[in-house]
Amino acid sequence: MAEQVEFEFKKETIGKLLAKSFKDNKTKVSGDAVILMCEILKVFVEEASRRAVKQATTEDGEQVDVEHFEKILPQLLLDF
Amino acid sequence: MDDTLAQTQRLKAAIHFTTGQICQTIAADCGREFSRQAIAAIAETTFRQCDTFAKDLEAFARHAKRNTINVDDVKLVSRRSTALSTYIQQKSEELASAHQEQKEKRRKNTVKRKHQDTEGDPEQNED
Repeated sequence: MAEQVEFEFKKETIGKLLAKSFKDNKTKVSGDAVILMCEILKVFVEEASRRAVKQATTEDGEQVDVEHFEKILPQLLLDF
Repeated sequence: MDDTLAQTQRLKAAIHFTTGQICQTIAADCGREFSRQAIAAIAETTFRQCDTFAKDLEAFARHAKRNTINVDDVKLVSRRSTALSTYIQQKSEELASAHQEQKEKRRKNTVKRKHQDTEGDPEQNED
């Protein structure tokens, strides 16, 4: 299992996504900040899916479905 | 207008793709499976969360009277969860030390090059 690859967001994607949400065009992002944002979003997705898996396990669901994710969503958003 | 919409769609697709990959890894890890809708929901949430983060970051930078968002702003965005902020702190230190190393290497290289230049000069003069 040592060859398992860690997936993460691309710097370009996150950079563009951040730039799109800014209200002021003058706002820029430093390179390191983008790298750290990619890291935060990766943790966010991992946390979301792990909590959804846990919810599905307690409910004995075969598959992780939207309803499982819906249940963990409020707490997830409070934690980030 | 059409262009920005298309770009948003592309970014959303990119987020969806990576989210799918991460979810699949975790699903394989836990021996479960994600439905397509669940992955889409997680991707959509991530997309919106990123929007919130961007607005926060902009406000933090503006408060510090800067136009460029830097590592400190990102640390502030991660303040709500202790574990996450510790992790981000550690990552930022890693990045900073990597930069330091690179800088030193570059400086050594330029010094070496200068050294070679000065050594090379007398020979040229002899010619």
